[in-house]
Order: sequence, then structure tokens, then C-alpha cells
Amino acid sequence: MQKLFKSSHNAAGALLVALGLCQATPVIASETWHWHGFVAQGLMRSADSNFVNNDGAISAELTEFGLNSTWKLSNTVRLAGQLMYLDGGNRFQQGGRIDYLFLNWTAINDMDWQLDLYAGRYKNNHWLYSATRDVAITRPLIVLPQSVYFDAFRDIAVGSDGLAVTSTHNLNFGELELNWSLGATPIPKEQSQRVISTFINGKTEQDFVHQFSVFLRPAQSKSQWGISLLDSDFNYRRVANDIFADGDFTVQRVMANWRYSEQDWELSSEVFQERVSVYGFYAPGTERTQFGWGAYLLGSYNLSAQSTLYLSHDHFFANKDDKRGYLLPQQSGGLIPAYFGYQRDTALGLSHNIQPNLRLKMEYHWNTGTGRLGPNVVPDTVVNRSRHHELWAVQLMYWF
Amino acid sequence: MIKSAFGFLLLIFSTLLWADSPAVALADNPAQADSTATQPLVVVHTAVAVQSLTAAQLRSIYLKRQVIWPDGLPVQVFVLPLQSAVHKEFSQTRLKLFPYQLERNWQKLTFSGIGTPPTEVSSATDMLRLIQTTPGAIGYLPFDHETTDAKVIQIKP
Repeated sequence: MQKLFKSSHNAAGALLVALGLCQATPVIASETWHWHGFVAQGLMRSADSNFVNNDGAISAELTEFGLNSTWKLSNTVRLAGQLMYLDGGNRFQQGGRIDYLFLNWTAINDMDWQLDLYAGRYKNNHWLYSATRDVAITRPLIVLPQSVYFDAFRDIAVGSDGLAVTSTHNLNFGELELNWSLGATPIPKEQSQRVISTFINGKTEQDFVHQFSVFLRPAQSKSQWGISLLDSDFNYRRVANDIFADGDFTVQRVMANWRYSEQDWELSSEVFQERVSVYGFYAPGTERTQFGWGAYLLGSYNLSAQSTLYLSHDHFFANKDDKRGYLLPQQSGGLIPAYFGYQRDTALGLSHNIQPNLRLKMEYHWNTGTGRLGPNVVPDTVVNRSRHHELWAVQLMYWF
Repeated sequence: MIKSAFGFLLLIFSTLLWADSPAVALADNPAQADSTATQPLVVVHTAVAVQSLTAAQLRSIYLKRQVIWPDGLPVQVFVLPLQSAVHKEFSQTRLKLFPYQLERNWQKLTFSGIGTPPTEVSSATDMLRLIQTTPGAIGYLPFDHETTDAKVIQIKP
């Protein structure tokens, strides 16, 4: 199966080249060819943490540039892709990437039932903001709640190479949407260092990620309800003189989400439990399993037609049986402080549309705990020496 | 403290669930029970072989999930400027969505590659002209606007 995913990765590259060549043709048929893009640049500062950089200085590493295209091959088949450039300091691997590149076949388009199949690098459609977390203008905050949308995991969670299915039904009691996907994401060494540890030298692979989600929008209701399930395995293979052993990782997440909309305000929330099991890695034959909890509540209020205020509170526990992280210093011989076991983030943001396609966003985050600062498996205790840390960010974004 | 926080969240959810019930929504907004005679007209090209749609089907079309008419003709969706009063009224009364929800859905479609946004036209006159001349077209007009050479379809609750 891994070979299949590697092949699809190569195929995705070939398709992108084709897409790029088509993009270069001077005639663009508006009925069959659409292209859009966005560019966002900002400033941010994370004091007393390694979230953006290690020295706490004001940083311009808040650059996002995306170009996406959709090519309608027939009434039921489309090819779509997005090239993305990111510079987010310690948050992301700097450089270009293909966020998605897939063939979409609309298998059923009945008046009350739509079924779509996606093959290639598909988007993660299973969480409230997962499908567009990579697009600055569609995010409510510049930095999303990290309990669910952990930035170190961004490239692994935004999409995968494989197959996905979406089915939407109009029923008497409301609208039902079902999503299923199976795939895997290539993990470059720099990416795995951001997630696992800066000390690793071996190779990390995602064996598979299997997801299912259901969303219900009841008739005559202003609410939307959803549940999503995730099951994924990773492996780590050591190299000579590696301080870590071969290891296998299992991540399983159960998440519920909810959104309530009024004319001038909206609330949304996601709550999850995540099982993380590590077999080996720290030493051959060892096994460690813990269940993490996370939840956020995000509110928005439209101050005017052009301005929106956001308020968010996000809570994460790495181990539900050790919410204050007391076991961490004991298990690590005093190397890892207790505050790496949790993170609470309260954020206040403001968004203002200067022009119809030009937006300015600014926000402030107050954090307690460092449980959602990368790397995740072997944390950075040198830079993250404070239990409290704060972040502010300003970003200007344009789209077309 | 954690139990208190979850209790507080539960209280918010319960209150919103009660406020979200259809009975309360109707009591709060008696105008919804009145005639739909002044709501924007839903208009299609004369070749579209559909006489009526349910509100859910109309929503599927405007959320760009339903992209083909039953006879195989591609659906061409037109909208008026998003800040216009007619668009806001159409969105809320016909689609039962706030305009920002509709716009957010179109942005998701556009930037996640799963669809394309509808075509925006500058005025009701342009809307009628495009519906008249574009096979598979669907749009909306003020309730008292002329609908010459276009077909008005009924929207069932």
C-alpha cells in the first residue's frame, strides 16, 4: 500500500506539471477553466516560546501565497490543484508544496443526493476548518486553536494522497453530509523534526490515515452538528548512531463539532479525545499509550458589514489522566516540566475588509502551558522555559 | 474548575438548542408565517425542465453541490451583488442561510478545489438578460420585476 501512495505522490507531481503547462496557455476558457489565488503577509511575535522563532523577536515569517486551478474535463469530471508557498518560522517547513491535486468524479448528482469521488492528493474535509486551514482568508483567526489545528502537523493534516468520497443527502429532517477518506502523506525529515524531535536522524513515514465524518444540518435550524473519526499509523526507522530506536506510532481521534449561526454572530466548537500510542522509539520493546483531550469555543460578532470581532478559548491536555502534567517531571527525570502536559489559549482577534478583496487581521493570544508547542514527542525545554507565553500577529491578505 | 467549564458549555448549548427549536423561531418571527408573495422570485431559463424545487434543493444548487439539472443540462448559477438588499433577502428567506454563510461556503469551494463560485451580475436587468440567454441558468429577481422570456419556478417549503 505504501508503494501505491508513493506512486500517487509521483503521479501528483506529473499532474502538477501538466496543470502548470495548461496554466501557461494564453487562452483561458472561462466555462471550463477557473483559477484563483491569494497572498498574505504579516508580522508576528511570540514571546517566551518557540512558536515562531527562538529569540522572541518580531518576525515577518508570516507569508502565505497560494494559486489554485480547476479544470472541468466534462460535466462530471474535474481536475483541481493548489500550489502553496509558506513561510511561518518554526510553525511550518518553509517553501513550496502542493496542498491538493485531485481528479473529482461526480458519480451521482440527483436533486436530493450528490456523490463525489476524489483521487490524488485530496483535501481533509472532516473538521470544521480543515478544508481551508491553509487559506488565510478563510480562517477565522491567523492562528487557529492549536488543540485541534496543531501547526506542527499542518502538512500532514491538510490533505493526503489516496481516495476520498463525499455524499450529501437532502432528507426530511435536514441535510446530511458523509465523508470518507483513505490515504497517506509523505513526511520530509524537516517536517518530522518539527513533530517528533529536532534530534531525530532517521526516516518517518505515515503508513495510512483513515477518516470518516458525518455532518447534520437539521431543517429549520441554525445549528450544524458533526462527528469525525481518525485512525492513523506512522513508523520511524533509525539510522546508524541514532539516539532513538525504531518505533511505531498510532494516533486515533474521535471528535465532535458544532456551529450555531445568527445574523450578526456565530459560535463554533470542536471537542476531541485522541489516543497516542508509541511502540519502541524511546527504547526497543517499550510501549506508551496516553489519551489526550482538547476543546475550543470560538465566537464571532459582526461589528459592521466590514469588521468582525473574534474571541476564542482553547484547552488541551496531553494526558487526560494527568491534566496538570505532574507525571512528566517524574517520567523524564526532571527534564520536562509539568506545564508541557497542557495548554490553554485565550485569543482576541479583529478582521477588517479594507476593500472587497483586501483584508487586515490582527490578534492577540495569551497562553498558559506549552503542550501544543512543537516538537511534540520530545519537547523543546531549552526555549520554552516559561509556563506563560503570548503571541500577537497582524496580517494583510489579498485574494482573487 | 474543569467540571464548571463543561457545565457552563452545557448550559450554553442547552439554551441555544431551545432557542433554535422551530416553535421558538416561529414565535420570535411571526412574519415568517405570512405570505411569501413579496419574497424574491426564483427564475430559470425556459429550457430548464423543472417546474418547482424544494427549499433544500434550491439550497443545494446555491451551495454548488447540485451542478446538473435532471435532464443533464449543467446548472449555471447567478447572484446579485452580495451587499444588495435583494441578495440578502433571497439568502435568508429562500435559502434560510445568512449571506456570510453562503459566502463562506463559496470560498471553501473555491479554495479547496471542490467547486466554483456562482457568477455575480451587477443588476436585476442583467440577471434577467443572462437567464433568458443562458441554457441551464438559475437566478432570482425582486418579486415585482418583469420575467419576460424566463420561467418562474415555485419553491416548496
